[in-house]
Amino acid sequence: MADIAIGIDLGTSNSCVARAEDGTVDVLANPYGEKITASVVAFREDGSITVGNSAKANIIHDPENTVSSAKRLIGRYYFSEEVKKARAICAYDIAESEGHGLRINVRNEQFSLPEISAMVLRELKAIAEARLGQSVSKAVITVPAYFNDNQRQATKDAGRIAGLEVLRIINEPTAAALAYGFGKGLKQRVAVYDLGGGTFDISVLEIGEDIFEVLSTCGDTFLGGEDFDDRLIDMLADEFLANTGINLRNDRFALEKLKVASEDAKKALSVDSAVDIRIPDIIEGPEGMLSVEHQLTSVEFGSLVNDLLQRTFKVCDEAVQEAGVVARDLDGVVLVGGPTRLPIIRDAVRAYFQMEPKTDVDPDLAVSMGAAIHASSLVNPKNDTFLLDVTPLSLRIGVAGGIAESVIERNTPVPIEQTRTFTTFKDYQESVSIRIYQGESREAEENEPLGQFEFSGFAKARRGEVEIDVTFEIDTDGIVNVTARDRDTGQKASIRITLSSGLSESEIESIIERANTDRVETTTLEITPPPVSRDPRSELEEALSTPPLSDSQRALEPVSESDPAASAASSTPAHAPDEATPADAVTQPFLGMSPDSDDLLLDEEPAPLLAEPARLSGEPQLAAPEPIVAASPEPFFEEAPTDEMVAYTKNPKAMDLDLEPDPVGLDIDTEVETEDNQVVELTDDLHIANTQTASELHDPEPEAEPQVLEENPHDLFEPAGTDLTTLDEAEDEKG
Amino acid sequence: MAALAPAEILALARISEELDYYQLLHLQDDANARQIKDAYYETSRTFHPDACRHLPDDVRRAVAVIAKRISEAYSILRDPRRRPAYDRHLESGGGARMQLAQAEGAQRAEVEGKTPQGRQYFTLANQDIRRGDFAAAARNLQTALTFEPGNEGFEKLLVEVREKLEHSSA
Repeated sequence: MADIAIGIDLGTSNSCVARAEDGTVDVLANPYGEKITASVVAFREDGSITVGNSAKANIIHDPENTVSSAKRLIGRYYFSEEVKKARAICAYDIAESEGHGLRINVRNEQFSLPEISAMVLRELKAIAEARLGQSVSKAVITVPAYFNDNQRQATKDAGRIAGLEVLRIINEPTAAALAYGFGKGLKQRVAVYDLGGGTFDISVLEIGEDIFEVLSTCGDTFLGGEDFDDRLIDMLADEFLANTGINLRNDRFALEKLKVASEDAKKALSVDSAVDIRIPDIIEGPEGMLSVEHQLTSVEFGSLVNDLLQRTFKVCDEAVQEAGVVARDLDGVVLVGGPTRLPIIRDAVRAYFQMEPKTDVDPDLAVSMGAAIHASSLVNPKNDTFLLDVTPLSLRIGVAGGIAESVIERNTPVPIEQTRTFTTFKDYQESVSIRIYQGESREAEENEPLGQFEFSGFAKARRGEVEIDVTFEIDTDGIVNVTARDRDTGQKASIRITLSSGLSESEIESIIERANTDRVETTTLEITPPPVSRDPRSELEEALSTPPLSDSQRALEPVSESDPAASAASSTPAHAPDEATPADAVTQPFLGMSPDSDDLLLDEEPAPLLAEPARLSGEPQLAAPEPIVAASPEPFFEEAPTDEMVAYTKNPKAMDLDLEPDPVGLDIDTEVETEDNQVVELTDDLHIANTQTASELHDPEPEAEPQVLEENPHDLFEPAGTDLTTLDEAEDEKG
Repeated sequence: MAALAPAEILALARISEELDYYQLLHLQDDANARQIKDAYYETSRTFHPDACRHLPDDVRRAVAVIAKRISEAYSILRDPRRRPAYDRHLESGGGARMQLAQAEGAQRAEVEGKTPQGRQYFTLANQDIRRGDFAAAARNLQTALTFEPGNEGFEKLLVEVREKLEHSSA
């Protein structure tokens, strides 16, 4: 019997789970017959956790301990605009974790966002297991097409925490297109207009029978049905304030009632042209209880949200243009997401695309159905459908002057791999560091920072003599992997990640150990794992001392490494002999969490994670051979001077010189000085840890660099040049 | 799908660095957009990572390499800006592969000039055209061409500018 693999639509507001078999797709209902599960987690006073529709009912009387819309926060940095906005709206406590990540504080406990999402996933897994009468361990999980690497990785982590092998992360509109076109032998070009609870995606696809090729995708990860609700809430609160002088926003309970009523009213407008909003006794006024009453018409609602709608069509413009098509020439437009049931949205879509939107697929269920279809084809040996997707965001590398250069443009088909060659900037330089971004701006700080990497363990030589090939890969899940190797020796450099928004490998493992999600009281009792009776945290030490690790978990354990040379040596993997050839240089395994690479780790790479290319949101310490000296903030590399590259690449050095008052005619030595001065100001620059210049650094220019860091909230890369003690130690070691 | 023996897949992965994009996708040099897309689909049916989940690890790794190369080939050949740059790159013996950004950059250089002076006069010429001063534009383009003889982008614009000049004088 073939493995069972389910498809999960993990939505902002609601989630679904489905299973495909023999050409039929079932969206699986819970024991109450509900196919849609609210993505809400309620933390009860007695320590139990409930998920789903019953948890949602909890919001009104206990908003502080009920976490909804976690998807809006997953994979985000604390400083991001989205998080600021969420903190203003959400009643639960959103706190900052180490490394600019996020934690949710409820009832004196702290949870990461992947843990919260894992609770929802575990509920869906339990629903599927109850329906199917057997355990389920494999799933395809969908994400908004416009999710960046951090968000995708965090979602994948959530799947693991929930005890699922995530076969693939696929994009929601692509999944919907699969549900629409699978097995029909269509030859069509369609747009998928996907307006969910919290995100908007538009994808243009070409369906060629068994092939689903995404031509382009665009989106907005902070625009969805909930923003429509917010408009209604604001209008009602303003009206109430004007009538009574009482601001309902100041009362948590009143505000939650307002939220529920607004969402209900919006849903009612999918059917009726007008709806009476009544919230009796919402708050106590000076002369007794007061109520909210308002008759909302479709037209009035339309005027409240018109600008939001127009925002979606701006995104559509981009997608259609990137796909190289004309909207009205498409064969169809498929509507996905609950809000697209609203007549005002249907009308607007009809007007924009100049065609009647397709109603073949259920806007609430299509994504989970597509995920299930794909999951099923992945576990069956005979695969007969192919998703050719694209990366939604340009992958960029930071260069001098706060510029982020594109390495892989958005809407490039995945999987894809690109290599840039860098050279050392200083004699005997020991490590190089690069920053990676996703986004569409040439200004580094306007993009989403994915991570900072330090490479070391390559040959030491005079400047310019070491060439390091840095390879950027985006895999079929849309997840980014970075590797570096010394071009001459073919030796892989060890990598240390100094910025990451996500959970580290060891954090994930300890979460799995704690099995916090087991406390979740699922609605499907038969197969629910037995509740953990003891306090998982107090027993953490014990649990860690006898970890029942699976093979794959063991493989991911960091080896205790302190010697950089040893780590560099171990970075030549077990299959080194083959790897020496140039053709094989690119076949090196990558440390994504995809099942493929898990298998690689299992079979071929028992221990040395150091050897592995680092995941962007992996663990800082994991791959650290030693605390790499964060030394002088100097630009450490430039594009290797191959002719082709020079033809177009902005040479960071040249760029710096442009900013200097008198750059002309500098000889090499002066140029280096110029660079040094320059970089004190430009902390976005690539920089090095160079023990050779240690003596110079005892006289650093102290004030300039941290200033810039403070001014720029996005610049969360570790300030270099401050850790002189470590620097000395490094020199001692050398001596 | 066109099934390949594991040994063939491994062999193909080993030489994938040396195969140019036309060879990789089994295309003629003059393939049109439809043929390129069909070739992308056909090769993806064989080499999509999802198609090979049941194969042994080493074969899957090889397939992953080929799949990435296929995406790269498609990204270059389907793009009317990148493909000419790649063709020139091949002609000049630049190797079978070309980084995407490199193709883009080379193409931009071809259109906007490869030398600072060429770019400068080309920019001036474009400003002249916007002002409607075609005589000045022609002079600036001629100057640009003295720095970059044979630049197709410059020559093409010069032809257009001269046509405009003849029109206005006629």
